Amino acid sequence: MADSKHSSVTSYVIVALILGVITYIEFALVEYPQAWLGSTWTLIWLIALSVVKFIMVVMFFMHLKDDDRTYTGFFSSGMFIALATFVGLTAMFVLPRAVASTKPENVAAANAAHAEVPEALLKNVETGGASRTPDQIADTPRAADRSVEITPPTASNDASTYSVTTPTTAAAGTPAAGTPEAAPAQAGGANEAPAAAAPAAATPAAAAPVEWDSAHGATVFNSNCMACHQATGQGIPGAFPPLAGHAADIYALDGGRTYLLDTVLFGLQGQITVNGAVYNGVMPAWGHLPDGDIADALNHVLTAWGTPPSGFTPFTAADVEARRPDALTSADVHAHRKAIGLQ
Amino acid sequence: MSAEASTAATGTVVAPYRSSKLPDVKLMMWVFLASDTMFFGSLIGTYLAYHNRSLVGPMPRDLFDIPLTTVSTFVLLMSSFLMVLALHSLRQNDISKFRLWTLGVAVFGSIFLGFQVYEFTHFANAGLSVHQNLFGTTFFILTGTHGVHVTVGVLWLVSLLITSYLRPMQAKDAVYLEIAGLYWHFVDIVWIVIFTVVYLVEFL
Repeated sequence: MADSKHSSVTSYVIVALILGVITYIEFALVEYPQAWLGSTWTLIWLIALSVVKFIMVVMFFMHLKDDDRTYTGFFSSGMFIALATFVGLTAMFVLPRAVASTKPENVAAANAAHAEVPEALLKNVETGGASRTPDQIADTPRAADRSVEITPPTASNDASTYSVTTPTTAAAGTPAAGTPEAAPAQAGGANEAPAAAAPAAATPAAAAPVEWDSAHGATVFNSNCMACHQATGQGIPGAFPPLAGHAADIYALDGGRTYLLDTVLFGLQGQITVNGAVYNGVMPAWGHLPDGDIADALNHVLTAWGTPPSGFTPFTAADVEARRPDALTSADVHAHRKAIGLQ
Repeated sequence: MSAEASTAATGTVVAPYRSSKLPDVKLMMWVFLASDTMFFGSLIGTYLAYHNRSLVGPMPRDLFDIPLTTVSTFVLLMSSFLMVLALHSLRQNDISKFRLWTLGVAVFGSIFLGFQVYEFTHFANAGLSVHQNLFGTTFFILTGTHGVHVTVGVLWLVSLLITSYLRPMQAKDAVYLEIAGLYWHFVDIVWIVIFTVVYLVEFL
């Protein structure tokens, strides 16, 4: 500790000078790029220079060079764990991104890999990660597991007349509440109503009542769409546009129904304006999902958070299948959006 | 060298069961700095993980001003230099110089914070907020956390400065300035990393 006055102060001054010079070199490397060095070597130099600064401050200003090794041990351990955390974070984010792609061959490979997923895991996906399997839920339904019956408004589009009731235990207790086979039976009563209430002229598809699996629609939405558009369809301001209300508005437009389907099936890219807010992101194409999943997710979006659009005809797997041959690009869908009068 | 034994004792009193001759406060500071390293490691890692993933602007290249940030980096580095001079003076029992250099560190730290306030205001006017995009979220949380560290350091140094007027401060009290200095240098080296990883590498 009792180092002579001159030597330590002199070394501090030298270290400070070197730190200042290195900082200027770093600045110059970025501000006046050296073509002969190339960006990779510039990066390596920048990292090396900052490591030199780091070590000089720790060694000379924090005195680890001459101080007890215990301190060095503690600090090195912290540095090591911090670096490991850093590498782990990078791996978690970079590796999936390197694998994921919308290229057809990669989607095919992903689908092939998906086919080999164990049955138990698929069930887990089916329940949205719930702790109980659909069979267990059917055996002893809890309030949260019961699907809801939706009664559409009879008089107007006023949300206050829109009621949601849970069915009786007996109805919800029908076998395998979450499975596609059983669900139309229990959801049918509710889902016939919108089609029946709609004026027949407004429905481009078949006039016959169409049924869909509302629980399955919610599951598909929650697994694929919720991360961006949020559980209640509110989206994230500035990043992901809202679906609640907005999707129903689009549905009501001439050609809106097909546009909604195209957006999910083929994706959407380009600047859009929703409720006065500008979005310039990318909606990925979800064509790798089964027809039924896409149809049910769309039905979920149009019915889950408000009044279904007037004349609402639920999407069916056949609707989705019929659109597939068009094989639009996300830019085509953007043009489609403009064509039906949206911004 | 056992940390358990030394944490049981306090201050400079050496209890019979102590197995370490190291000052507890200094040992504690190094352990804290080790944990703070992990904290900043996570924040910087998160910034890089979300780098180039913002869907809307403004983007880092629209906003970063390298000459300005170089100056503020230089100011912070020089404050570290003044910090070692302050510690050196106190160890030499040169109280007036200790006060001068410590005040210098606090002033330089405040200048750095001034640059940061200017930068944040400028970014906010350009439309960047914590909610705007992933860049805004990760950038403000990372550099904001660092700014809070600098603020705490400035307050700490000012409190030591005030203490030196309230009661006599001598070379034997140097360990209290030393741990404040360790903290200050740590904040400096974190900025060395942020300056390179967040600002400079952006323009390669």
